[in-house]
Amino acid sequence: MPLVEIRKLTKEFVKGDEKITPLREVDLDIQEGEFLSLMGPSGTGKSTLLNLLAGIDRPTSGQILVRGTDVTRLSRGRLADWRAANIGYIFQTHNLIPVLTAYENVELPLLLLPMAAAERRKRVDIALAAVDLTDRAGHYPRQLSGGQEQRVGIARAIVANPTIVVADEPTGDLDTRTAEQILQLIEQLNVELGMTLFMVTHDPKAASVAARRLHLDEGRLIEAAAKKPALVPDDARRRT
Amino acid sequence: MFRFAPYVLKSLWRHRARTALTVSGTAVALFVFCIVASVQEGLDRLARSSEAHRTLVVFQENQFCPANSRLPEDYARTIAELPGVRDVVPMRVLTNNCRASLDVVVFYGLPPGQLGTVRDLKLRSGSLAEFEGRSDAALVGQTVARRRQLDVGSSFTLGEVTVAVVGVFASSVAAEDNFIYTHLDFLQRAPGSNSVGIVTQFEVVLADHADPEPTAAAIDAQFHGGPVATATRTKGVFQREAIGDLAELIRFAQWLGYACLGLVFSLVATTTVMAVQDRIKEHAVLQTLGLRPMRVFRLVLAESLLLAIAGGLLGIGHGILLLSGWGFAIGTEGVAIALEPSFRLVGLGTLVAASVGLLAGLAPGYQAARTEIVAALRQA
Repeated sequence: MPLVEIRKLTKEFVKGDEKITPLREVDLDIQEGEFLSLMGPSGTGKSTLLNLLAGIDRPTSGQILVRGTDVTRLSRGRLADWRAANIGYIFQTHNLIPVLTAYENVELPLLLLPMAAAERRKRVDIALAAVDLTDRAGHYPRQLSGGQEQRVGIARAIVANPTIVVADEPTGDLDTRTAEQILQLIEQLNVELGMTLFMVTHDPKAASVAARRLHLDEGRLIEAAAKKPALVPDDARRRT
Repeated sequence: MFRFAPYVLKSLWRHRARTALTVSGTAVALFVFCIVASVQEGLDRLARSSEAHRTLVVFQENQFCPANSRLPEDYARTIAELPGVRDVVPMRVLTNNCRASLDVVVFYGLPPGQLGTVRDLKLRSGSLAEFEGRSDAALVGQTVARRRQLDVGSSFTLGEVTVAVVGVFASSVAAEDNFIYTHLDFLQRAPGSNSVGIVTQFEVVLADHADPEPTAAAIDAQFHGGPVATATRTKGVFQREAIGDLAELIRFAQWLGYACLGLVFSLVATTTVMAVQDRIKEHAVLQTLGLRPMRVFRLVLAESLLLAIAGGLLGIGHGILLLSGWGFAIGTEGVAIALEPSFRLVGLGTLVAASVGLLAGLAPGYQAARTEIVAALRQA
């Protein structure tokens, strides 16, 4: 049974006199541990699909079943609880809370879960170690580089061990070299930790990291390429 | 909720200048509120004291200032014989100012042996025996002693009257702490007084069963055709009438207190609205991470509450310090209203500050909770 089942998902909105339908009866299955990238021209609804999957937007019609729960039917409050337990969100612009340190930013999602302080500390330490930022734990976002900020954002997304991690143009704000490092890190999450990942990008190079690549064209999903091997070579992993 | 306390505190600290200005503005407003409330409290205490209902004050008819009331001292014998009267104490009252004043000094001259009959005083220093044995001796209320820096052994002069301080007392009625007690005949014979055999008023202590109003009417009836007519009222009514104009002002000042609360509301609400508008995207991020809208609402409310309480405590703290350190009394016509610090004042001020803080946070909190996540995340 797929981890995520998206059925006949449609999203419409009105802009002026025009009715726009970025998603038209989209169907998609995501298996546990899969790494998907979604490409497409700007304004085609890539981020809309990601936001619907992340439970921060509502579809006009259709279903999104995650482990059997139809998230489109949850109330605002329950949907927030569901996000806390199931979604890790990596933003394009990092969106760290400026008044909190890297450690506190990573700890934020855990504050919403019933968890003892010691367990929280342990998980944050592990997440920061995973993104190689243990020595920056006490730094504020303004004291970090763009790449480091994105690493903190990734640690925050994975710290609660979510059902699915969504990434919206995670390298869009970074220079080429840093973007490569971030992509390797994201790939590691999938390969080494077995995390299910759904990444939206307009960069073909970034999309190629994913095992399964999708295109969104005129509101419809197209499977773009055959799956490439899930595991990356050892030397690539070591560079991270 | 407390798990997010660091976030709330750091958010306030992020805009230190704005926070400091709001807290200081709130502090000033709550300081004024505290002083106004203490005046109202003093007025209430005056009306609530047991003496207010069981003691009559006999004054010259149509006179209100102690300087103008001149009653023959021998009226005391006639009053004492009336049914319902337990004791009569003749008093000469000398005040530095018949008009409203914040530094009222009032001398009460009375037979020293009768002091305990009409006043519940506890000596904090000095000797009652010395007071009774020395004609120019004075017992000074602790508040006026603190305000005028008087202690046992010092002397104090008001106009042409100079007394020797032989004791400092504390009274069960806060207003009494602003008075100075001396001998009646000393005040009557004071230079320029020319009032031997003349008193300002009589205080009549009623017997347990006596009804105040008929007794007061009986006293006035006795002297209706005499050389000087009297007006007799319970002490509570007498004080209320003596400070009538002042009470009007105090009631008006209450509106000033309410205006201060309005000011706190505007200040805190403005700051909280600004904080929410600055952080629309941040609140959207928090909701994306899984914060329920109600929790975002409570976080904003907590910020607003903290601002108001911090300012409130600062303002009330300064108010209490001023009231306890300075010993203010506002008085007129020889009647004083003590401005005293009290736990009730601290509690009331804190409660009011908290309530206003919560109210001020409602609308911005609702705005933050209703943030449309996707639209807010698109903001630059």
